[in-house]
Amino acid sequence: MTPQGIRVVARQEFTIRIRAGRWRWLLSIWFVLLLLVTALLKLSVDNIDTGDAQNKGVVVYGGLTLLMLGLALLVVPSLGAQSVNGDRERGTLATLQVTRLTAGDIALGKFVAAWGTSLAFLAVTLPLVGYCMFLGGVPLLRVLAVTAVLALLLGTVAAFALCLSSLLARTTTSGVLSYLVVFALTIGTLVLFGLGAALTRENYTEVTTCPTEQQLIEQGVPEADRPNILQGCTVSSFASSRTRTDRVWWLLAPNPFVVLADAAPQLPPETAAEKKVRLADEARGISRINLRQADPLGALGRTVRRLRSKPNADGLILSVLTGRGHKPVWPWGLGFDVALGAGALWVTARRLRTPSRVLPRGQRVA
Amino acid sequence: MTAQGVVAQGVKRRFGAVEAVRGIDLTAVPGEVTALVGPNGAGKTTLLLVLATLLVPDAGQVTVAGFDPVTQADEVRARMGWAPDVFGLYDNLTCREYLVFCGEAMRLAAAKARTRASELLEVASLTEHADQPVHTLSRGQKQRLGLTRALVHEPEVLILDEPASGLDPRSRVDLRVLLRRLAATGTAVLVSSHLLGDLEELADRVVFVDRGATVGEHRIDQLPTNVAPRPWRLRSLDLPALLAALARTGYDHDEPTPAGVDVRLNGDEAAAALIAGLVRDGVPVVSCHPLGGQLEATYLELTT
Ligand SMILES: Nc1ncnc2c1ncn2[C@@H]1O[C@H](COP(=O)(O)OP(=O)(O)OP(=O)(O)O)[C@@H](O)[C@H]1O
Ligand SMILES: [Mg+2]
Repeated sequence: MTPQGIRVVARQEFTIRIRAGRWRWLLSIWFVLLLLVTALLKLSVDNIDTGDAQNKGVVVYGGLTLLMLGLALLVVPSLGAQSVNGDRERGTLATLQVTRLTAGDIALGKFVAAWGTSLAFLAVTLPLVGYCMFLGGVPLLRVLAVTAVLALLLGTVAAFALCLSSLLARTTTSGVLSYLVVFALTIGTLVLFGLGAALTRENYTEVTTCPTEQQLIEQGVPEADRPNILQGCTVSSFASSRTRTDRVWWLLAPNPFVVLADAAPQLPPETAAEKKVRLADEARGISRINLRQADPLGALGRTVRRLRSKPNADGLILSVLTGRGHKPVWPWGLGFDVALGAGALWVTARRLRTPSRVLPRGQRVA
Repeated sequence: MTAQGVVAQGVKRRFGAVEAVRGIDLTAVPGEVTALVGPNGAGKTTLLLVLATLLVPDAGQVTVAGFDPVTQADEVRARMGWAPDVFGLYDNLTCREYLVFCGEAMRLAAAKARTRASELLEVASLTEHADQPVHTLSRGQKQRLGLTRALVHEPEVLILDEPASGLDPRSRVDLRVLLRRLAATGTAVLVSSHLLGDLEELADRVVFVDRGATVGEHRIDQLPTNVAPRPWRLRSLDLPALLAALARTGYDHDEPTPAGVDVRLNGDEAAAALIAGLVRDGVPVVSCHPLGGQLEATYLELTT
């Protein structure tokens, strides 16, 4: 396997894809669709009275990103799902295999082409992302992280599609199965998590214990209050039941939406100036929506982190709001997805290795 | 010294329940054109795929250009050119781009790949179509392009699966000239073909296969004569008289056609005797000639 070999294959695939046409149309439709989404999000944000003019981009960007991922998951499988078996059908694969290109060259070259094409879709949306940043509240770091994770996720899906096209004889079958893989990753993980969570339901007895004086001192409770607390406290217990999502959170982790949202860095906390404005508003009896709290990415990320936490770690309201104090989910999800994608590439390269001992049923080499 | 060219001994290959190749022996030596001949489904393509480093044989010894296609595939590929019986061309590329790509895939330097592409377009008489997309070529042009692809890296072993099918008569002559020239420069050429008439003028040796096994291996100028009765075609000005004469002398013949009457005869002597007899009987014979060449006769005898 050599860089030149990969480049030769990738360039060839690119040329053919571009000449096959329709790209301009597909990319234009893609762009127009996302432009519409951006415009609608912007309009709805404008309609909310927030007094938070600096952070309008947060909601628009979050919505745009999640939608972009959804659309990309529909487009990407079709980019690689006919790469190998389509070549086999046209009889071009064998002529490639008898050259000095290795199976790895061919597999990676095809992957680079499929991934590169999907990145073109990402690139087209960059102006919209720029617009979100212009609207405000979207730090560059967040854009970089989200774009990188998006790119990795698209690569994973492209690798799956490529692998399926090397495993299955028919292009239609591999196409349908690629979409099933995407379905499994998105809806499937959600369903599995729901079912898994139902199984973890447990009864438990919550015992409220009374603090000792020493604990109160440590928590800085003023001396005058201590006796009241100590005397007013009774040891009580009540039975209840709860779902231990901390045991099955990993079922949700590979979900691309979860990975993307959780990997997006949380927004910085309220600045002193913002706090002042808010307090002033509150003093005048005005309550306004904080756009930071409405951040779709942040909200989804905080939710899944809370699902990962043990029940008693969830006591602090603060941690729900900031996501702090909870362990991230995305490294596991992304790691799993990328590892699976790498495995898919390995399988593809294996399937392309010649001379072959076994052929897919009913398939000729040439 | 390791054997150059192609040596295959006892090659076997099955696909599930189908025994496609069940014992083919074959050699193709440098400087010669070896023909692989046999009925449809005899296992020719399968054998060539084994030689072309695409299929692992179930049994048998194979060397191509002195290397084992299974364990030393890359060494073989560097020295072997293969053209399948399907075109296997990419659409949306021009002929020139396609050949340059093939050159680069063979690890030629970019500049070398470009000059080689120009040379080969010349060879395939495709220069005027050089910048035309491949999918707009005619069938025969595609076939020629597919053949030249196998030549990009100047291989020492050339394996061609039915290279002449679909070519017009002139292209077939050109192909013959090209292959003879390659053989003259020391290339071992192995072709499978059903065009026996062409092979007689092209090949030095011929290997007959039937139902997956070698059934004969001959130099083309030493084909067994008198292997079997072969058809000769008689034409006469007076067809009824001819038929009557044939019936009288007890010759087996087919239904008469506008082209004449076909009679099975054992070799040239029998033909001479028949003509002499007919002339003696006063039948106005216009022509009498063997149908198909010696190769075809041998083919029909050896295969089923
Ligand atoms: N991949 C495969 N799976 C199952 N059977 C196969 C496969 N490839 C070839 N065969 C069978 O093996 C036999 C030999 O096929 P092969 O293509 O080698 O014949 P051939 O001599 O090239 O015939 P033709 O002259 O028609 O090209 C045939 O019966 C064919 O059906
Ligand atoms: Mg064949």
